Amino acid sequence: MISGVAMVKGGLAVPWAIMMSLLVYAGSAQLAALPLIVAGAPLWVIVATGLITNLRFVIYSAALRPHFAGLPWARRAALGFFMTDFTFTRFMRSAQEGTLPERSDAWFAGVCSNNWITWQLSAITGIIGASYVPTDWGLEFTGTLALVALVGPSLNARPAVVGAAAAGIVALVAHPMPFKLGLFCGAIAGIVAATLADAAQQRATAPAEDA
Amino acid sequence: MTDPVAGWALAVVILGLALSTFVTRTSFLLAGAKLRLGHRVEVALRYAPVCTLAAIIVPDILIHPPAHAIDPSLLNPRLIGALAAGLWLCWSRNIIGCLAAGMAAYTLARLYL
Repeated sequence: MISGVAMVKGGLAVPWAIMMSLLVYAGSAQLAALPLIVAGAPLWVIVATGLITNLRFVIYSAALRPHFAGLPWARRAALGFFMTDFTFTRFMRSAQEGTLPERSDAWFAGVCSNNWITWQLSAITGIIGASYVPTDWGLEFTGTLALVALVGPSLNARPAVVGAAAAGIVALVAHPMPFKLGLFCGAIAGIVAATLADAAQQRATAPAEDA
Repeated sequence: MTDPVAGWALAVVILGLALSTFVTRTSFLLAGAKLRLGHRVEVALRYAPVCTLAAIIVPDILIHPPAHAIDPSLLNPRLIGALAAGLWLCWSRNIIGCLAAGMAAYTLARLYL
């Protein structure tokens, strides 16, 4: 719903916002791409930003592969596309508890379609509802706040905090760069910083392996 | 208020973003069994989203739209709204409450500061 409100109040026309919700189906990537679309950033910058925001799904798909390895190509593609943070977490929890049914692919397809319907209904409610709200209420700021709400819980490990801080500072300093390239410099700096912090943490917690 | 964003350019952007969702979510499900995720790559992929989002949020909050200048003062309504949302998030994990607190603080600061 928030992504719907943010898309319309960010300046997207209602039919396009609905199409974006239906086709892209990735709330954080949509929220990340939105300010770039509104600012008229080049296509490749917008798509690359969406891509980086979606990179976590690469890890998810690697974790799901052993479960769905025997399925036909089209079915694997469909299960992958309709997977989200929520449905992936749900699946892995059942897998860990050993409560997955025998046809785990059919069960996962059910979980994912439920989630898709709920998400789209609430996004479209947000899109249409927001189009009736006056612009001077400042509702476009909900997009930024939703990103804050997404980032907050991820800051539970030191590498994430280090990475986010580096990314924010570099993006702020590099902000005058054209084509919103400051965003990229920030993201890359953050990823490098987080990777280094993670390596330092590994060394600190496992000193015995070096001896 | 500018006109709503629409048109062919937006259609191409939407298709590109849809493709990015598809490629990342199906990557390993469709790849051959020989492809593996190295530890370093997995670490980088794990922290990529939070870093990208931070790179978007920080300038968005600290750069004041009218002057396009960095405004880290407590007179900046976007900063006040974001701080309120962040504090709410520390106190409870409720996202709706966090958005409501952030919007309330942002609106009050915008109208009265």
